[in-house]
Amino acid sequence: MNSRKRRIYYWTASLLVFCVITLFELGPLIWMGLTSIKPAGSEFSIPVRIFPEQPTGENYRTVTGEGFNIQRALGNSLIVSSTAMIGTLLLSSMAAFVIARLRFRCRHTAFFTIQLAGLVPPIIVIAPTFILLRNTGLLGSLWAMILPHMAYGIPLATLLITGFFGSIPVEIDEAARIDGAGSGRIFFRILLPVISPALFSAGVLSFLGSWGDFMHAFTVSLGLPRLQTVPVAILSFSSAFQLQWTWIAAGVMISVVPVVAIVVLFQRYLIGGLTRGAV
Amino acid sequence: MNVPGGWRRSRSGPDAGKYGAGPHYRNEGWGFILPAFLCITIFYFYPLLQSVVYSFFQLEYTTDWLHAPFVGLRNYAAVMGSIEFWQSVRFTLLFTAGVVVLDLSAGMLLAIAAYWIHPALRALLRTIIIIPWAIPRVIQASIWRWMFNSDVGIIGTLLVRLGLAAEAPLFLADPNLALVCVVLTYVWKGASISAVFLMAGLASVPQDLHDAARIDGAGRLRRFFAVTLPVMFPTLVVTMLFRLRDALRVFDVIIGLTGGGPGNATESLNTFAYRMYFDFNNYGLGSAYAFIIFLIIGIISIFYMKKFLGRFDFVR
Repeated sequence: MNSRKRRIYYWTASLLVFCVITLFELGPLIWMGLTSIKPAGSEFSIPVRIFPEQPTGENYRTVTGEGFNIQRALGNSLIVSSTAMIGTLLLSSMAAFVIARLRFRCRHTAFFTIQLAGLVPPIIVIAPTFILLRNTGLLGSLWAMILPHMAYGIPLATLLITGFFGSIPVEIDEAARIDGAGSGRIFFRILLPVISPALFSAGVLSFLGSWGDFMHAFTVSLGLPRLQTVPVAILSFSSAFQLQWTWIAAGVMISVVPVVAIVVLFQRYLIGGLTRGAV
Repeated sequence: MNVPGGWRRSRSGPDAGKYGAGPHYRNEGWGFILPAFLCITIFYFYPLLQSVVYSFFQLEYTTDWLHAPFVGLRNYAAVMGSIEFWQSVRFTLLFTAGVVVLDLSAGMLLAIAAYWIHPALRALLRTIIIIPWAIPRVIQASIWRWMFNSDVGIIGTLLVRLGLAAEAPLFLADPNLALVCVVLTYVWKGASISAVFLMAGLASVPQDLHDAARIDGAGRLRRFFAVTLPVMFPTLVVTMLFRLRDALRVFDVIIGLTGGGPGNATESLNTFAYRMYFDFNNYGLGSAYAFIIFLIIGIISIFYMKKFLGRFDFVR
């Protein structure tokens, strides 16, 4: 009887804690979702109604229509983040291969230099980078975001992949070398498939890093809608259409779906990648 | 051991048995690492140096850049002498202190809850805790700006309905409240990040230590402070440094939530430097300003690097 009582108590307390935390973590999103299905203009009516009287999909039609075109921002973000991610993964895994696998004189210096770059705050590189991009004519294209984002992902990705190499037996390389394979072959044909878990978590992290970047994307988008990524587009919504929060809410809801999906699907890799070495 | 073709595995020295390749692979190494180096140099080290150079010149957008006057340390003096600089230092420090304390304590509560909760709910709860972490900061700022709306925001409305306030406070119009709002918005995401780290830390506390303490008669609270916290201490330090570095760089949330206002009340180091560059087009002053930020963060980072990199045996 006593243990049964305790079980019930444990369940009730668990449920209570669960609800409180869910409200804290998802409450803002839920409120945004509720706002996004209110008829435009009714979000300002007093007294405040938490649930809309007449739910409508009108706001979603508006933000995906001509004037706002949130799909374009989503498309830009997708292009920028995935291209930058592929570049980051390629460059970092090659660097990690040298650092972890080859008898390379500057191995330690190389690792340290790459990690040092990760500590440079974005604000100090933003202006010279902007000028560099302008002088090379990249400004005004998505490359002005892709290339820097690629570089910004390298320190963390190199850290993760180098760490992962440590858990793979060196005998694999040695056997391949005896069979006459060169470094290139060993890396691309043999090791790349083996390190795919590390590539995966480094990839998701650099994708999200690029997706969430605001300072750089905002600077090089030059206020042009055709260059805006999702965060920049949402901010320009809220400054250009101050008063139409139902529209902003619909834009936010659409823009949040991809990243939330990524996190829910790949959380195991994310946590593994993030906490590796830190804990 | 010598293999035809000059391949040799070292049997002695610090690399014994660890790195399979012989000395003649050194040149191949360059080919693999140069692309990453080039990328890092172009987008990190070159702009960093360029900024330092800029900071010694009087550079405005309209100046002829090749003949810009050299002003020595005068930009730095101008920055240090401006009221706005010290205002933003004050704001950034207050903000950082608030964020670090709240991030870690909320993160700890979340981690403990995820650890303690009924196993049937555990996986779901972890997923929910991680969701805010995925949302870009600017979008997060938009969400909270709507919630902090003083007329129809949900937070003000709830405060009034619960009888905690006579009328909804002007959240973003009052300098002190605006600081609180920026911190709260930041913590929504920061607590998730801290919780992820601390959950991993909690999992590393050995169960037998807990059992031993229980047998010795330690209560729940006592066990937390005498067993869990000391074992988790390294994790806690690393998490704190992560959060500290993050908070010192605050930019997105402020742009999205208050735009630095009311007045300059929520102008952070980063937003102010950014304005110098792109609103006032004063690259010299902006660079001096950014370099000061770099020094502040650098000092903290060196401490952090020592902690962090010591854990990788290939760097020691």
